Amino acid sequence: MFTIHCLVTETLSRKDVSKTLLKVSRDLEALTSKVDLILASQKRVVPARAIGEKITKNQIPCEALDVMTLLSLPDHLRKTAVAICALRSATAADVAGETGRARAVESNYLNQLVTMKYIQRERKGKKVYFYVSK
Amino acid sequence: MGKVVTIHSSRGGTGKSLISVNTAAVLANKGKNVCLLDLDFRAPTMYVVFKLSTEYWLNNFLNRDCEIENVLYDLTQRYNTKGKFFVGLADPSMLAIREMSMKDRKWEMKALQRLLSLRKLFEERKIDYIIFDTSPGIQYASVNAVVSSDTVVVVTTMDALDIQGTRSMIEDLYEAFGKKTGILLNKVLLPYSLPSLSPLTEADRESLSKQLKETFGIPIFGMIPCYCDVLRTSRTVILAFQNPEHPFAKDVEKFAEVLEEA
Repeated sequence: MFTIHCLVTETLSRKDVSKTLLKVSRDLEALTSKVDLILASQKRVVPARAIGEKITKNQIPCEALDVMTLLSLPDHLRKTAVAICALRSATAADVAGETGRARAVESNYLNQLVTMKYIQRERKGKKVYFYVSK
Repeated sequence: MGKVVTIHSSRGGTGKSLISVNTAAVLANKGKNVCLLDLDFRAPTMYVVFKLSTEYWLNNFLNRDCEIENVLYDLTQRYNTKGKFFVGLADPSMLAIREMSMKDRKWEMKALQRLLSLRKLFEERKIDYIIFDTSPGIQYASVNAVVSSDTVVVVTTMDALDIQGTRSMIEDLYEAFGKKTGILLNKVLLPYSLPSLSPLTEADRESLSKQLKETFGIPIFGMIPCYCDVLRTSRTVILAFQNPEHPFAKDVEKFAEVLEEA
């Protein structure tokens, strides 16, 4: 703090110092809110469980994909999520058929929904099926 | 392919149920196969309109206690309609209303899937129209109905609060799900100089329609004046069946035509 103070007094006027400190304070606030957001999302993605408890593939806890959750999703993911709700279990190609978007795009969105724990993914032979938790 | 229509509103008392019943009646009279489902689980009314009591309700269907066949009543013969006319009722008992308001998110998610599954079922049975009568505002059952439908009809009156609520729902709900939405203006107040059964003139309709389009930015499906005698009529009277020449029934007919084209 002393070093900063010395440097500041040498190079900047008092007015400049207050401006710089204000900017630093704002940046710190922005940084804190971003860290809070990251922590909140981490809490959601990694559910708390007892130490040593193993989770098998079929036991992965899923978030409920109800209409209020659908409303909170961004537009592009909402369309995919509604389609998977209607189809129940489908491949990216099936979802693309429903939404009218490209298969690769749907595959990306479906995987985002899997990461967010709203849906699950299962491989059957060469095909990958996505489904809302049973 | 059939059409799934949700009749919704931002606030209560706009006339959703009356319009749902009469629209279903008009379409069935025209030879369409219609299925009217009461999704207003907080204030069910259809059991009064159709004077029915049943073992299975739509609540049971959503709970996975029964299949849709157990819930539907075939009223084709009772009303002598050209097309098939089915109704499914919501349980009016206090216990059921309380139970429905306490359901969790997982249950609501499954209820949405159950409603979405109806479409395929009705396609197999050649149903032309499924009409959902819903609770007002953003309730789980109503939003589930909106998500499951092709077209949403928002019934609104000229009340300022109603118009404000409708505007926000258009932006926050119907557009979010990309649903085809239209406004049905109900209980339009006529100038005092006209008797209560006077129809709206074409000029009145055009001018109002223009104003509403500017306000809401979505199509206007119809306008129905406030008919005092309709308000006084018993809930069990379905004007489209019992008095099809009544101006209200005629207005619903016009609305049904617009709905068919929408």
